[in-house]
Amino acid sequence: MSVNSVDAGTPGFHIGPDEDADELEREVWETLDTVPDPHIPVSLVEMAMIYDVDVDAGEATVTMTFPCMGCPAYDMIKDDVRAALRTIRGITGVEIEITWDPVWSKDMLTETAHEELKDAGISL
Amino acid sequence: MNAEAETGWPEAAVDYVQAIADTKLLLGQRYGEWMLKGPHLEDNISGASNAQDEIGQVRQLFRLLKQQGVDEEWLESERAPEEYANAPTLDEEAENWPTFVVQAALTDRTAWLLLDAIDHDDFTGMVQKMGEDEYFHLEHQDGRLETLAESQPDAVEAALERYFPQILTFIGPATYDQASDPLVNAGFTDRSVADIRGALHEHYVELFASTDVSVPPLDGDVPDPDQWDAKRRRTDDGHVEASVVDQLQGVSNKEYVIE
Repeated sequence: MSVNSVDAGTPGFHIGPDEDADELEREVWETLDTVPDPHIPVSLVEMAMIYDVDVDAGEATVTMTFPCMGCPAYDMIKDDVRAALRTIRGITGVEIEITWDPVWSKDMLTETAHEELKDAGISL
Repeated sequence: MNAEAETGWPEAAVDYVQAIADTKLLLGQRYGEWMLKGPHLEDNISGASNAQDEIGQVRQLFRLLKQQGVDEEWLESERAPEEYANAPTLDEEAENWPTFVVQAALTDRTAWLLLDAIDHDDFTGMVQKMGEDEYFHLEHQDGRLETLAESQPDAVEAALERYFPQILTFIGPATYDQASDPLVNAGFTDRSVADIRGALHEHYVELFASTDVSVPPLDGDVPDPDQWDAKRRRTDDGHVEASVVDQLQGVSNKEYVIE
């Protein structure tokens, strides 16, 4: 696992902490990068489902999307995000905002994620 | 854009989105009922997939409705059948396969046209994402309608005669044109009810043009604007059966809910 602080395939789309992210926000991104997508062997970050992280006075706001609107693991994934972030010292609350802008696309995956999926026999 | 933007919508817009959401909720139910009864494995697979898509879309439309102050418990588990604003085409389960395909196709396409007409920041990206689902629903249904029009034209035509007036009623009165449609005037939609009625009719006239199936005329008197209830998009007090609402609300499985 690694935080993909690189530009993904979609123009203007960036995965990972912004340059001005503080230490706590970076830790949040790193923790999110340990939360697995329950369907395939990559993290939510590698899957380009995490669009933004903001931490304000210990309250983490995670803006995320889903590749599939009818995802049967929708609530489970959100629970996993909350559970993972609550283990971080300094995080007192977690808010999840769902966005569809921009619409998720497989082009957002990094080359590394594509390779990991390929190794697992999955072609996206 | 902030996806959780809480800009207040006009009350008529809340009703409009509620009607789309409830229609998709019932579409999910009807697809689910038919997903093991289609004539081919492909029909069953598409039924299961479409049901999942519709329920996923309902979840997002309900999320926006909650942001507009609609009560969560009422939305999901405390409504009486007559409080659902679904298209009347879905009040009853279809009796046979051709009837179901016409029922689902007309309703799914109408819901998409109504959704695609929304021009509001809260829907940025979301409608596009829903469109990715709907592309496959509508393509598949058109294909099935074309083959059914060859093999069972009478059944298809009978179902069109039954459902077309109902779906026109759900879309709304022909008098709601680009100059008078309240939601166009409010800037919430960019396509009038009259335009959507015409688009739906034109689509099916073209689809069945080379078959023996006739599409009912676009009757400008249906629905009667003086009788039309804009909240439930109907002219009568019809509703889905109570037993279906029990299934939608998970009444018999409540003891298994994990809070």
